[in-house]
Amino acid sequence: MNDSRVRVAIVGIVVMALFSALLGRLWFLQVASSEASVAVIAQNTLRPVLEESPRGLILDAEGHVLVEDRVAWAVEVDRRLVKPQRTTVVRHLSDLLHISVTAINKRIDDPRQSQFAPAVVAVGIEVPDRVRVSILERQEDYPHVSVQMIPYRYYPDASLAAHVLGYVGQVSGPTEAKDHPGYGDTDTIGRAGVEAAYDTWLHGTSEQADVAVDPAGRVVGDPVVKKAGQPGDNVQLTINARVQKIAEQSLAQGIKLARTEQNTEVKKFRYENYKAPGGSVVVLDANTGAVVAMASYPTYAPSEFVGGITQAEYKSLTAPPARLLNRATQGLYAVGSTFKLVSSVAAVQNNYRGEFTTIQDSGSVTVAGQEFKNANKESHGTVDLRKALTVSSDVYFYTLGDAMWSTWKAGQVQRGYAIQKVAKQFGFGEKTGIPIAESTGRVPDAAWKRAFAKQLYSNPQQQAENGSWNPGDQMELAVGQGDLVATPIQLADAYAAFANGGTVYQPQLVSRILKPGNKAVAKVVAPKVVRRIAIDPALRSALMDGFTGAVSDPTGTAYDAFKGFPLAQYPVAGKTGTAEVVMNKAGDLSDTSVFVGMVPANQPKYVVVSLVEQAGFGAAISAPIVRRVIEALLGLPTPSIIKATGSD
Amino acid sequence: MDLSPERPTGGARLRHVDYLLIAAPIAISVLGILMIYSSTRSRLSLEHINRFYYVERQGLALSIGLVAMVIAMSIDYRKLRDLFPLLYLAVLPLLLAVRFVGTGRNSTTAWFQLGPLQFQPSEIAKIVLVIALAGYCHQHRGDLDAWRLAIALGLAAIPMGLVMLQNDLGTMLVMCVIVAAVVLVAGIRPLHIATVFLVVATLVGALVVTGKFNGYRLDRLTSFLHQGPVSTQTATPSEYNLAESRTAIQHGGFRGTGLYKGTLTKLSYVPAQHTDFIFTVVGEELGFVGGALLLALFALLVWRTWRIALLSTDFFGTLLCIGIVAMFAFQIFENMGMTMGIMPITGIPLPFMSYGGSALISYFIAVGLVANVHMRRFS
Repeated sequence: MNDSRVRVAIVGIVVMALFSALLGRLWFLQVASSEASVAVIAQNTLRPVLEESPRGLILDAEGHVLVEDRVAWAVEVDRRLVKPQRTTVVRHLSDLLHISVTAINKRIDDPRQSQFAPAVVAVGIEVPDRVRVSILERQEDYPHVSVQMIPYRYYPDASLAAHVLGYVGQVSGPTEAKDHPGYGDTDTIGRAGVEAAYDTWLHGTSEQADVAVDPAGRVVGDPVVKKAGQPGDNVQLTINARVQKIAEQSLAQGIKLARTEQNTEVKKFRYENYKAPGGSVVVLDANTGAVVAMASYPTYAPSEFVGGITQAEYKSLTAPPARLLNRATQGLYAVGSTFKLVSSVAAVQNNYRGEFTTIQDSGSVTVAGQEFKNANKESHGTVDLRKALTVSSDVYFYTLGDAMWSTWKAGQVQRGYAIQKVAKQFGFGEKTGIPIAESTGRVPDAAWKRAFAKQLYSNPQQQAENGSWNPGDQMELAVGQGDLVATPIQLADAYAAFANGGTVYQPQLVSRILKPGNKAVAKVVAPKVVRRIAIDPALRSALMDGFTGAVSDPTGTAYDAFKGFPLAQYPVAGKTGTAEVVMNKAGDLSDTSVFVGMVPANQPKYVVVSLVEQAGFGAAISAPIVRRVIEALLGLPTPSIIKATGSD
Repeated sequence: MDLSPERPTGGARLRHVDYLLIAAPIAISVLGILMIYSSTRSRLSLEHINRFYYVERQGLALSIGLVAMVIAMSIDYRKLRDLFPLLYLAVLPLLLAVRFVGTGRNSTTAWFQLGPLQFQPSEIAKIVLVIALAGYCHQHRGDLDAWRLAIALGLAAIPMGLVMLQNDLGTMLVMCVIVAAVVLVAGIRPLHIATVFLVVATLVGALVVTGKFNGYRLDRLTSFLHQGPVSTQTATPSEYNLAESRTAIQHGGFRGTGLYKGTLTKLSYVPAQHTDFIFTVVGEELGFVGGALLLALFALLVWRTWRIALLSTDFFGTLLCIGIVAMFAFQIFENMGMTMGIMPITGIPLPFMSYGGSALISYFIAVGLVANVHMRRFS
């Protein structure tokens, strides 16, 4: 007994000694030692940092969310983590995440990830609570590893309106960040579409803070917020998601349909279907220039850009059939007979023809030994302006082009360029000003042709031969062929100007910008008038009659396409277009199918354009697409598309 | 059957509760939670995580720990005297299983994930080791010959081996100290002390010489021996950790920098500051005043435990308390000594202070057992 008490006492003495040692050491360190060594470590420097704020939403005209920022948990690895420590940490992470070591290393070294931000090794469902807790609680096993909420762009409707919305990327580093004041080195930034055009609104303002950094470059202490961040504003589009959906579906259906049809214009006898590689649909509000729908086929999902994109992936988006290309604004096409709107206005305004002047249409006309034919060489007999538009008489416009060329040749250059002048008034050959990427297009004339030949040929003789402005050039222009190229948005904008009586609007994609939470309106985007064109009301009425006839008259080119449509209730005016495009050296042709619809014809509210590449007659494919989009606009049932007949 | 009226009732036993013994660890735990909050809140908010993340979990563990302590107090500890083989046999499979089915198999300590909490069998294994050794040695009181000593040491060697299998050097060391203290009080003979000492010294020497025990571990253990001005370029990670932790404590001075104002302990300066290096936060933010107060609270806890070891009329109770005294005292000395640069760096948590649920709960069970011995010392 006594012995054990002695032994317990020994334990007590040892413990007392240990505690005394601790107290002594504490005293020595905190009270007795000099301050010198403390100062060395306390030399921190302040570094400004920018913390990105959530990006704004993109809404459709009715407030339906098309793009939003979501957050996901991500496991990130600091780029300062290097071998040999990296090997151990990666092995720990592999155990924890159930992802192979190889896969984790691949993710860290993924070239898509910014070298200026921590590498993301797992994200979303790969990061359950279990993982977050383990990393938090075992920091010593996971040096340079952190669990973060990272924002990403989420698209509830997948690829809907992809070409309008565009996509986002990451600022590529300090060099690019310099060009964007207020942006961090790795901030999200719009790279195309509305995301790019309205990036400064969507981005919001970053939180500005100072963090203390020790001599080894590590962050110490609380960040001192100097300026609080502000989430990005929401951008409300003019696009109506419901109409957009129907437009995209109809376009895809029409294209599928075209691919089942035989292309009879291949020269050598062989069976070949239309290839119909792509197309687009544009719906414009005729009285404001607001884009109600804009579809481009084939399309992509903006989510393909989430988390970065590899060179190979990007290549697959841009290689034919160029899914990334917005055919509605960037595609350049001969628009065929739909251009007769311009030729008609030019003819009457410059006194080449009156609205009742008639022409004998025998199916073809020969000028300078060359025969110019109607579609299918069909004869339309006696045609005036109205009928020429309804039945789409090419002869009527070929002879007009010929007359204009003669005028030009006789020295009356301006009057000879009547079509060119009116075309430019309607907005052809210049950018419409829509806030996303678009092409300029071209309205050809003698000067352009000469310059073009000079560029193409080095031999002066060839330059002269190919650079001269011939009757055929003006004649082809009169029917929307030859060297004229335009984008679908230009075509829609021109018809909108005609439909509203002469006001050319800048097409708008955005109606207003809202403060976060849609609490207040930050900016209203008002319709913007580019110019006003004087169109005689009588002329407008005559043209509209012709366009209405194309849809409602049994001889009209689009009569079949609109069979069964309640035209009495909702009168529709429209124009078919079929542009012959030479496909190869053998001279095989494949037609661009175009249709422009205006509804209601008596006081148009909407202009709808459909254009499908290598798909045959405008009446056959594009007119049924436009019909279906009009049905969607009017709230009518939208059955599947069926192919229609009609030349042109 | 003894139904004499002198036998204390439950109410009487409550009067024998050592409230100082219980108050000290509760006070330390509360201070610990405050320090955990101070050292983690800014990093958590920087990572957009609830800044009470650790506080909530440690608070939950504290509540569970208090309940566990009350349970440990209410069951007569003498039952353990006979039941220790069962406890001992139950903890071995846990130690083995965590190596293969637990989480963090590659880490220094493995654990089981139980919802929001983690369960580390090595923490409870320390308490079970104390009970088992005390139980065995109590059976052979005054008769601890070479053979029985060997059995006692063998009993300890199995869990220690399993802990070493997890590379958990710290827990192994604590277990060594527990064994040393219990067999000392149990009556180990001087000749045996010398023999055991020689055997252990030879084994350790052999491990170092053959290089089985090398690199990182050796580096950690010996870095405290060469302290001087540390250069960022040449220092090993351990030397750097040590220099940072020591400097942070120095920075606190006499009064400390104030709560939440410790710049050196924040974020990455000092590693694992809410776990193993939590004392650096106390040292920097609360200074010598706070550090000494914490040391006083620890001293109070250890003193009361030691006192109960002395008061206990039951030899099993004495050995139990001595084992727990050894566990607490060594962990406190090793952990605080490590942060102040007088002990090697090993992964041993500071009792009641370091973040960690299973450790906190185990320590409260230990305190409950000690209080239990005190309550029943007259019965």
